[in-house]
Amino acid sequence: MKLLKPTWVNHNGKPIFSVDIHPDGTKFATGGQGQDSGKVVIWNMSPVLQEDDEKDENIPKMLCQMDNHLACVNCVRWSNSGMYLASGGDDKLIMVWKRATYIGPSTVFGSSGKLANVEQWRCVSILRSHSGDVMDVAWSPHDAWLASCSVDNTVVIWNAVKFPEILATLRGHSGLVKGLTWDPVGKYIASQADDRSLKVWRTLDWQLETSITKPFDECGGTTHVLRLSWSPDGHYLVSAHAMNNSGPTAQIIEREGWKTNMDFVGHRKAVTVVKFNPKIFKKKQKNGSSAKPSCPYCCCAVGSKDRSLSVWLTCLKRPLVVIHELFDKSIMDISWTLNGLGILVCSMDGSVAFLDFSQDELGDPLSEEEKSRIHQSTYGKSLAIMTEAQLSTAVIENPEMLKYQRRQQQQQLDQKSASSRETSSAASVAGVVNGESLEDIRKNLLKKQVETRTADGRRRITPLCIAQLDTGDFSTAFFNSIPLSGSLAGTMLSSHSNPQLLPLDSSTPNSFGASKPSTEPVATTGARPAGDTVSKDSVNATSTPAASSPSVLTTPSKIEPMKAFDSRFTERSKATPGAPALTSVTPTAMERDVHRQVVVVKEESLHSILAGSDMTVSQILLTQHGIPVMNLSDGKAYCFNPSLSTWNLVSDKQDSLAQCADFRSSLPPQDAMLCSGPLAIVQGRASTSGRQAARLFSVPHVVQQETTLAYLENQVAAALTLQSSHEYRHWLLLYARYLVNEGFEYRLREICKDLLGPVHYSTGSQWESTVVGLRKRELLKELLPVIGQNLRFQRLFTECQEQLDILRDK
Amino acid sequence: MAKVSVLNVAVLENPSPFHSPFRFEISFECNEALADDLEWKIIYVGSAESEEFDQILDSVLVGPVPAGRHMFIFQADAPNPSLIPETDAVGVTVVLITCTYHGQEFIRVGYYVNNEYPNPELRENPPLKPDFSQLQRNILASNPRVTRFHINWDNMDRLEAIENQDPTLGCGLPFSCAPIKGLGLPGCIPGLLPENSMDCI
Repeated sequence: MKLLKPTWVNHNGKPIFSVDIHPDGTKFATGGQGQDSGKVVIWNMSPVLQEDDEKDENIPKMLCQMDNHLACVNCVRWSNSGMYLASGGDDKLIMVWKRATYIGPSTVFGSSGKLANVEQWRCVSILRSHSGDVMDVAWSPHDAWLASCSVDNTVVIWNAVKFPEILATLRGHSGLVKGLTWDPVGKYIASQADDRSLKVWRTLDWQLETSITKPFDECGGTTHVLRLSWSPDGHYLVSAHAMNNSGPTAQIIEREGWKTNMDFVGHRKAVTVVKFNPKIFKKKQKNGSSAKPSCPYCCCAVGSKDRSLSVWLTCLKRPLVVIHELFDKSIMDISWTLNGLGILVCSMDGSVAFLDFSQDELGDPLSEEEKSRIHQSTYGKSLAIMTEAQLSTAVIENPEMLKYQRRQQQQQLDQKSASSRETSSAASVAGVVNGESLEDIRKNLLKKQVETRTADGRRRITPLCIAQLDTGDFSTAFFNSIPLSGSLAGTMLSSHSNPQLLPLDSSTPNSFGASKPSTEPVATTGARPAGDTVSKDSVNATSTPAASSPSVLTTPSKIEPMKAFDSRFTERSKATPGAPALTSVTPTAMERDVHRQVVVVKEESLHSILAGSDMTVSQILLTQHGIPVMNLSDGKAYCFNPSLSTWNLVSDKQDSLAQCADFRSSLPPQDAMLCSGPLAIVQGRASTSGRQAARLFSVPHVVQQETTLAYLENQVAAALTLQSSHEYRHWLLLYARYLVNEGFEYRLREICKDLLGPVHYSTGSQWESTVVGLRKRELLKELLPVIGQNLRFQRLFTECQEQLDILRDK
Repeated sequence: MAKVSVLNVAVLENPSPFHSPFRFEISFECNEALADDLEWKIIYVGSAESEEFDQILDSVLVGPVPAGRHMFIFQADAPNPSLIPETDAVGVTVVLITCTYHGQEFIRVGYYVNNEYPNPELRENPPLKPDFSQLQRNILASNPRVTRFHINWDNMDRLEAIENQDPTLGCGLPFSCAPIKGLGLPGCIPGLLPENSMDCI
């Protein structure tokens, strides 16, 4: 066994709280404290493994440094595939990182040590949900879930395929949850907390399986972390800090019955971290010995607050090796290499240690197939070998579903092959983009640079885009940033281009004619300003505490001019406000009393509505079907529903629902978002929809879903009132697609039921076979392929299809 | 988390005569499209004694800024010599490049600048009144001093407007911006919590 303490792995003396080796063994990540922030650093593994590499100056030691966390990073974990790195910190955030590729300079600009980032890692997702420091994160064996635990007593399970979706929040602990581990078979997840309990949760329904408290009765919350571990063969779960007769131990818990008979004894202070070797071993076969089948065993490393490390084999009663006083402070994290022969240990004193074992010492590791075989024989199906992300019935019961699924997979494959073809061709471009090298680009930049003048005469430069944000793809685009044409004039469309809506300026003979003049009095009866009367605390232009500056500047000794200027580098100019204390906005709710005068659509005349005391009617339109639409100055549009004799709100420019709805993923690739029709015209180009969606990542996903659902339902209803069949169909399909993607079975069933109607004739049924001129059952037929894309709804799919078949056969 | 980070600033045509314009080639990266423009300024510090001798050489808006990496050249005229105190003209001073978003400064890049006479005679016997036409400006491009500040990147106005429009919107969507502890005041160190030192030997 060899022991190495590489001094070059450090966070400038600050504590390192977590370490994790990448599955491919070429690099490892550390997480800890940085300057005013948390720091995640990715290091090269080879200088640790080979002395020659360490001495070689050309081989970089530090690969990348990320300072994005606002506070200390407590945990860094690579995904099992190695593609992502998850980091959790005291700032309550979990950041998911992915490797980015870029052609061009990669130094961290302005860093004091001229640090060059050899690799680029970009944060692809920030997961917000916890209300307290995140202590541990763990990827499930098949990388479908990411679990995180926090001092807010909860464990959150994230959908790793679709960040930032939350699958479940496990509540049950009554103390700070400080450690997590997944069952390698995928059936459970275990967490340990300061409430003196270790809880095991089922992944099937995310409910509590068992809570173990006996070994922890005498424990106090004395450690920063409680990192527990599950053995790779699934038989044992070893806790961190437990007590036995007033002595600190690591409790061994058996999977069958959760029995707590054994423990690891020997450490003099609380056990902070336990980590099992990912390999299962069997005894080394000596040459010539009888082929006695030996029982496979596991290997486990235990680190403690007493600064010592012990390594155990489950077939031996005594530890394999114990190293005392490995560090100056408590051990925080342990990570094994994937081949099972090396351990990296980190400590709060800010250093790491690497232990290198040989196979003689540990044993013969079993291969992955042998490991899967053990899993299979003991547990049946194992998550570790399952590839499907969906854990609900994986059996497809209907051949039609299978057809749709296959089609979907084929599409995905096509897409992937198309994109990979692109990347391979683009990969050959290194430093040369669009035929020009970056050098030439620079030379021509001033000529090419687009400069304009703003309205108030200021110079405005359009920056040249040299690369798009990429995470793994090589697609570089080289173009002048296209001005965002967000504000398409969508409010009122001229009549000439559109035969569908007829403004009432033309004297077309219709039922509106006579009443036109009476719209005037609507205008100004109110005095209340139509605008937001928001009273908010003024943003205090708080300049940064520049208290220190005057003292430095008063004596500008020529001898040390540099010092005098230092403050100029670090202080903001007094004019610019500091980040405003997030203003406590007291919005005054706008109470708009909509006084309506009921309109009766008679043959010839029409009394217009009085809508509010301060609105003006900006335009009146008439749809093809004779539905009048009123556009008001505040951006709302009402249409008249003759059957109910009321005005329905069909569009609101400032509808927050529209802005927050995020159904982009449900848009079919072929269909243009623009669905022409009276609804689209009235609402203007829906460029605002979804715009705020990206900003709502602070909102729980459920709320996001609900707003989107509400918005889509509104759209369907609006299309219905406007009697626009084309749009009704468009929005209905979109709505259904969103439901399928998000898994709302109940509402989907309702839609299908409504569209299907009664299969057998029954008197007294009020079902109409058509809606806005479309046959409902035809709509249902169109819906089926959409439903067929989600395995979860295969029952629904089968039912609908059978019913339709019955109808067809009749 | 900052939406914009400066990747590189290249100082063009350096050293150069005092009167020649400053030219910086700035590359920056933006994580998501910005609603408004970035405002970049070049400030020449006339004298270390007081900020009143600062000259804003130029201020320019850069936009629109989509997500991705971008580059532009920022050119500004040389400072006005008459505004520089005579005693500070020859020697070391500082030029700053700052960028603000929504009026909040989030990055400040500073360079030391050395103004001296290339002519050895003038160097030995400098005239009492500095002769700017003879002065050469040398920007210490190899040592940029970068300071970043945390700011609020979200568009607070629009968020507030949404809050006002529909107060009945469910649980009052908490439009809180990214949890910025410390509010970007340099010197404020979030995260050094006593619980980290729970461990004591």
